[in-house]
Amino acid sequence: MKLEGILKKYFGFQTFKTGQKEVISSILSGRHTLAILPTGTGKSLCYQLPGYVLDGTVLIVSPLLSLMQDQVEQMMRMGEKRVIALNSFLNPVAKRSVLQNIERYKFIFISPEMLNVPYVMNRLHELSISLFVVDEAHCISQWGYDFRPDYLKLGEIRQQFGNPLTLAQTATASRKVREDITRFLHLKEVNKVETSIDRPNISLYIEKQMDYQTKQNRLFELVFSLRKPGIIYFSSKKIAEEIASQLRKRGIGKTMAYHAGLDQEQRVLIQQQFIHGQLDVICATSAFGMGINKNNVRFIIHYHMPMQIESYLQEIGRAGRDGLPSIAILLYSEGDVELPLQLAEGEMPSKEQVDWFFSWLKNNNHGKIELFYSNNDLRTIGGFSEIQWRIIEDIMKTLIRIENMDVEKMHDLVNEYINKRLEVKRANIFKMKKWIDLNGCRRDYILDYFDEPIKRNIPACCDVCGVDLNNYLAHDESIQERETLEEWKDYLSKLLISGLEV
Amino acid sequence: MPYIEIIILYCLKQLNGERTIYSIYHLLKGKKSSQTIQDAHLYKLTHFFRCFESISREVLETKIQKFLGNHWIVPNGDQQFLVTSVGEQVLTASLEKQPFPKHLDGWKYHSESLLFWERFSLLVQVISNFNFKEAHYIPIQKNKQVHRWLKLFLKENSWQKNSLGKILHSELMDCFESAQNINPAVFIFRLTGYCQIGLTPLQVAEKLKIETTKYYIEFQNIIHFLIQHVRANPIQYKLLSSIILDIKESNPLTHSSKITYEYVRKGLSIQEIAKTRGLKTSTIEDHIVEIALNIDGFSIDSFIDKGIQKKIIAVANRTETKQLKLIKKHIDTANYFEIRLVLAKFGGVKQ
Repeated sequence: MKLEGILKKYFGFQTFKTGQKEVISSILSGRHTLAILPTGTGKSLCYQLPGYVLDGTVLIVSPLLSLMQDQVEQMMRMGEKRVIALNSFLNPVAKRSVLQNIERYKFIFISPEMLNVPYVMNRLHELSISLFVVDEAHCISQWGYDFRPDYLKLGEIRQQFGNPLTLAQTATASRKVREDITRFLHLKEVNKVETSIDRPNISLYIEKQMDYQTKQNRLFELVFSLRKPGIIYFSSKKIAEEIASQLRKRGIGKTMAYHAGLDQEQRVLIQQQFIHGQLDVICATSAFGMGINKNNVRFIIHYHMPMQIESYLQEIGRAGRDGLPSIAILLYSEGDVELPLQLAEGEMPSKEQVDWFFSWLKNNNHGKIELFYSNNDLRTIGGFSEIQWRIIEDIMKTLIRIENMDVEKMHDLVNEYINKRLEVKRANIFKMKKWIDLNGCRRDYILDYFDEPIKRNIPACCDVCGVDLNNYLAHDESIQERETLEEWKDYLSKLLISGLEV
Repeated sequence: MPYIEIIILYCLKQLNGERTIYSIYHLLKGKKSSQTIQDAHLYKLTHFFRCFESISREVLETKIQKFLGNHWIVPNGDQQFLVTSVGEQVLTASLEKQPFPKHLDGWKYHSESLLFWERFSLLVQVISNFNFKEAHYIPIQKNKQVHRWLKLFLKENSWQKNSLGKILHSELMDCFESAQNINPAVFIFRLTGYCQIGLTPLQVAEKLKIETTKYYIEFQNIIHFLIQHVRANPIQYKLLSSIILDIKESNPLTHSSKITYEYVRKGLSIQEIAKTRGLKTSTIEDHIVEIALNIDGFSIDSFIDKGIQKKIIAVANRTETKQLKLIKKHIDTANYFEIRLVLAKFGGVKQ
């Protein structure tokens, strides 16, 4: 059957999205594949469809529990019952029964830490793995923006499975990250399928402001005059809230803040309001954007500088999905580089915290270091933030498995690891800063960073090549105001009674 | 005066300098510990139980500092404060302008109000989209249990799907017509339907020009009103009452106290229950106090002599205190458990 036929049969679609067919053909021709496709291109289809063609099990390693859960539910909704997620959400009883009947499943999602559990591995070894999928493969590289030490051993695990056919997926990967992916996964030859990270309809624009106050005023001006809807990104929840409230007070746009500090119901409401056009400006932290399909976003403003080019690209990529001209503006005022530097440092456990942690290990655990997991107070007493604690857990997980490792040695390695991570993060920030200070074409620089050929003749490419901001202003005053119902009775009847007669 | 201050000042007044400010924190957060529950009853603050979960210790402490500076309160022991006459005047004046909503009953409804809201708001969204024949939309509630409930609800009840909207609408209108001092807008604008996404609490508060704290309390008030009203009139509100039909009227006891209660009903003594359950007698005593607070008509006579009961009530009334230490000073024949139990049963001071 032709691929389109399979697509129709299992998924009900007529055509593939960009890149999907290339990835699938590459896998089905038996080649290890590195797929670099932007988010929203249906990456799960790239392993699901081959799964139906190949005999044996598809094993998918995925770092984010929530993402994993989403994908499983989505596949189940599509009628695929032979799918399961092996992660810490599964209670022990369920886990046991799943593992006993593991051969029933066609698609097994697994978190990297589960691959450390001997019993789990033993059961998996009894399966024939037809496709080994590494989702978010950039996590394997310390140059990526989301390095996970757990991922480093995936190469070894692959070999234990006898070098199965492998698909590594990611949305963005710089040259260094690509090299790391093939190297650490022990892939000798790999076929790359990528679509360009470049979005020619988004102009890249940087404005330098003298100081914080000028920058804030300029933001109000821009938000007032730019064609909406738009998203403003901040590094701080508090400032996102403040600016949103200021914008509301000044009556500039219908604005709300969105960040991880809001409860789930509010987050859903704000997202949906934005999608349905009830809001036209979102003051967001990086928590906003995952899974948001709104194709007419006209501007992205960065009020704080992002911590690396990858996250910058991901964020501006939410503009102009309809292909129409859109603009990404980054406002930089003197000294702004300090904030990401501080944030990077704050994400890492401090030297004092690490020292304290190890002295606690030495004095309390009688050599049974793995016991620290079960001590829930440790994080609180040591004053570790959630991110800091995850870093400690991640690195400790790896160290514990190394034989003949004493506490002092671990202590040194942890310090070394943290310093190295910090250095990488700083380097990424300075790379971003260098891009901000650039005298040449901003797009060229980014394309080169991602190892892509340079393009020519992009209209309104970047502020260096020349962009006329006037083209992005809302000249058209006739934009239809949505009717807002002021009376609750009208609102209620609209919800419950209208529609019926139509 | 900001609404949160009215609440805190009111709590301080009720506590009469006999509990620390952190008992207010636990009360508003709705901590389910015997201490918090007993205090809520003793000082008649049950309606505020879990009515302001987002309160932080910092906010509370800042407000206390402000009250001290204004001479509204004076210290009365460590982290304990008495409301001064100035404070009382301010409080009375503020309450006259903004009285507490009268349906608010946190203790009674804390365990079901969120569930009621999740079910109700999802039901409205589903009905509204159904009316417009829209099958693709993002459910506003993420709780999987609520999704399962709704599926069953629509399947098992014999409602005509295209009449649901009208029924729900008319039941709601009836409900709000019989309500006094309620602004339905506080509730209604939060709802989501076809291509109309509900507002967040902050947005409704800004739209109606209400302070956010006050907004939260008003919203709770309406939920509590709806549950109470609908449950009392199941025939009039067939659809609305069936939303909460399967939620048992909340048995307010904690799980462990429920087990103790079973043993008490079988006639076991405190010592016997402690032994059977492998718990300390003091724990069982806590349970007994909790039962006395929550189960109407629970007799405490088997735990404490009637004569001593009377004495304790008399002392509590005379000294106008709920502090165990003070009461014990006057009656050395009673132990602390007995005093707590009597206070729990009879609410301490007479009104």
